[in-house]
Amino acid sequence: MFHTDYVAPASLEELLTALHYYAGEAKIIAGGTDLVPQMRLGRINPRVLVDPKRLPSVGISETSSYIHLGASVTHTQVVNSPLLQAEYPALVDACHQVGGPPIRNRGTLAGNLANASPAADSALPLLVYEAQVVTASLAGERVIPLAEFYIGPGQACLAADEFICELRLPKLPPRTLSIFLKLGNRKAMAIAVASVAVRLSLDELGRMTEARIALGSVAPTPVRATQAEAILQANFLDGEVISTAAEAAQQAASPISDLRASAGYRSKMVTVLTRRALQMVFSQLTAGEAHV
Amino acid sequence: MSDIELHLVVNGAPCTVQAEPCLTLLEILRDKLGLTGTKEGCGAGDCGACVVLMDGQAVNACLVLAAQAQGAHIITVEGLAQEGNLHPLQQAFVDKWALQCGFCTPGMLMSCYALLLGNPDPSPEEIREAIAGNLCRCGTYQSVVEAVLSAARSTREARHA
Repeated sequence: MFHTDYVAPASLEELLTALHYYAGEAKIIAGGTDLVPQMRLGRINPRVLVDPKRLPSVGISETSSYIHLGASVTHTQVVNSPLLQAEYPALVDACHQVGGPPIRNRGTLAGNLANASPAADSALPLLVYEAQVVTASLAGERVIPLAEFYIGPGQACLAADEFICELRLPKLPPRTLSIFLKLGNRKAMAIAVASVAVRLSLDELGRMTEARIALGSVAPTPVRATQAEAILQANFLDGEVISTAAEAAQQAASPISDLRASAGYRSKMVTVLTRRALQMVFSQLTAGEAHV
Repeated sequence: MSDIELHLVVNGAPCTVQAEPCLTLLEILRDKLGLTGTKEGCGAGDCGACVVLMDGQAVNACLVLAAQAQGAHIITVEGLAQEGNLHPLQQAFVDKWALQCGFCTPGMLMSCYALLLGNPDPSPEEIREAIAGNLCRCGTYQSVVEAVLSAARSTREARHA
């Protein structure tokens, strides 16, 4: 049992006022799948929990330039969204590999980002899709590119009175392929040993106009593998380019050894997973499955 | 903090409980309502022993705070049997020996029940995925898969009979 107060404000303004009033002594609770275990371990002891569940839900919606994911969108909602299945398969795959069904039913995407785990599955596809985090506080709204959102393990650039209202996914260019691969010690209920997301957008000739690679569990935060991206950029995908890029991906990794794997193993897995992901995209391309 | 008046519909029956807002739903069910079928294993969402249905979805009751469940419809393992007759899923667990010590069974049943609600004819792979959040230290997983397949089959046959 937790001797904590709880409020569920009925409007965004009321919620922001509450966060401001409690100035750092409040925690936002959504699914509670990360927060409740941390409270139980005594790692955090907030005076009050602020639950956005009564705010008008925007769910998953589409406008001309973006897909909008509301604050309360759960991993299950992402997995079941035909829109995301069609256009953002790496995000669907990543959300599908989070925990097990009860965790996915409660845990939200916004919460997964706010928790700022270096191993967060959903962060990698969101990085390669160049997602934006839209926040609100009494001081106003901010739009933060996800690439600038993380500061360190468990730390995001969120002020204590700032609330994630929405995630925005920019619409993708035509001829875009993406994939997410996770290496865990089991298939479900596992925190990643290492993971990778890749998104490639191609021109009519098959040259890569946008190459994005993100790595998980191998640095203090989810990171982009910019050196590997540079090798792919403006190139055609073939066996040699894939090998060179997969080797270069290691330059973005600075893994530690922990109970799940050693640093050396993780470094090697970065290359293996990146190569595998690029090869899978390559075989999709040659099978003519690219969006045209 | 002061108690809240918590309104729930548990296994079809409306009930009202006075409780601290940050008790867990698991504590409400076990300690306030005496529904001890739902078990506490890890208390951290890892083991699935406390899985119940909240508004039709499988959730870990240890991770839901009482106040978050305000107004929700909850189904626990006690809600499966009807008029003294085991639910076909429970009967299949008995017939297929899908349990040994039984501690994981209520959570396992509720995960499988949630699966069958949305997918009356699941594949073995879909069943394995549905129970991915339920640990069984006796290792009955394969029997659980067989039990769910058997329950789905018998429900189908009953419908066509």
